[in-house]
Amino acid sequence: MRPILLAGHERALTQIKYNPDGDLIFSVSKDQQICVWFAHNGERLGTYRGHQGAIWTIDVDPTSTILASGSADNTIRLWDIKTGKCLKAWDFPTAVKRVEFNEDGTQLLGVTEKRMGHLGTIVVLDVKIDVEAEQSDEKALTIVCDESKATVAGWSYLSKYIIAGHEDGSISQYDGKTGDLIYNIPIHELNQPITDLQWSQDRSYFITASKDKTAKLISAKDLEVLKNYPSDTPLNSATITPKKDFVILGGGQAAMDVTTTAARQGKFEARFYHKIFEDEIGRVRGHFGPLNTVAADPTGKGYASGGEDGYVRVHAFDKGYYDFMYEVERERQNRLAAAANA
Amino acid sequence: EDAERISSADVAVVEARRGMLQEWVDWHEGMEEELAEERAALGLPENPVEALLREKTAAVVADGEAKEQVVE
Repeated sequence: MRPILLAGHERALTQIKYNPDGDLIFSVSKDQQICVWFAHNGERLGTYRGHQGAIWTIDVDPTSTILASGSADNTIRLWDIKTGKCLKAWDFPTAVKRVEFNEDGTQLLGVTEKRMGHLGTIVVLDVKIDVEAEQSDEKALTIVCDESKATVAGWSYLSKYIIAGHEDGSISQYDGKTGDLIYNIPIHELNQPITDLQWSQDRSYFITASKDKTAKLISAKDLEVLKNYPSDTPLNSATITPKKDFVILGGGQAAMDVTTTAARQGKFEARFYHKIFEDEIGRVRGHFGPLNTVAADPTGKGYASGGEDGYVRVHAFDKGYYDFMYEVERERQNRLAAAANA
Repeated sequence: EDAERISSADVAVVEARRGMLQEWVDWHEGMEEELAEERAALGLPENPVEALLREKTAAVVADGEAKEQVVE
């Protein structure tokens, strides 16, 4: 099926998020706008205005009631999804590069940028999923990253751990309640920043993308590397598809970083790998610049990519995608079916 | 002889994949069990999002009823 092209942003995309029902897509960009779209036809429902700088990150609470965003204007904002009203703004000394709600939407974490005189931090805010409620000004927790700044972070299952990816290619596991560092492990190549961290649906494992051209699947409990997906380009984003055992990677070398003859127009591709067997199984072309963000529809119906070119491309999976199966997967499926019938 | 070599290579690949699939399934099922146990021990709902959505729906319905009463 042809992808739907969402042309509403004027500058590079930074992050895309589906709501849990998979019917809405939220996108943020360096153009200081948050857009919301219908996933099935690409119609724009609206924009959320108020940020005074590039917006780096966005997240939707589990009930699709409120939206959180983080920006180069040094604020995290909460928005009423339905009305577009800004409900709250928290100020920080530096830009906010990542926000994420925990699994029950009671807490929001934010990753703040490192700058002269300020170390990078991970802050935790208590939130109420209620558009009428007064939100607390106080931070519940601040984790200071004094070794290497965090570039991305997220909440594990049960909000038990905060997992962060760092600029130096390492991963940290912090206690979700106390913020104490439990492990820090070099996972990606040294000093190749981790650019994305996205969860499996049960938040028991996650995928990281790195400038070292690999993505890795990692267990939240013990930071064991479960799978490795090598590619031929620096990666900006990686996502895990529900229903089918695939992962999607996005990246690409920016035109200014390569010789002009090597810059191939429209050849920036989303790469599909088999999650378990680690093989690359397909590519989807379309963007005219590196893919900055990829997101899988939580209901398994498709995925969206956001590019340096300012476009969001929404793809609905077709029959071939659902039918695709390795022989050993089919074998297992048949065995389970036979056992169920017996 | 060549055909034999190819088919034995195929067998090795398929065997390796079978092993990888089993290893994944074992790991994931173990993790799922552990998660369910931890959730039960903490008295948390099995599916946190489902529970939240039920609450939200209940609140919306209650809100609707309250408003209807005002209209009367």
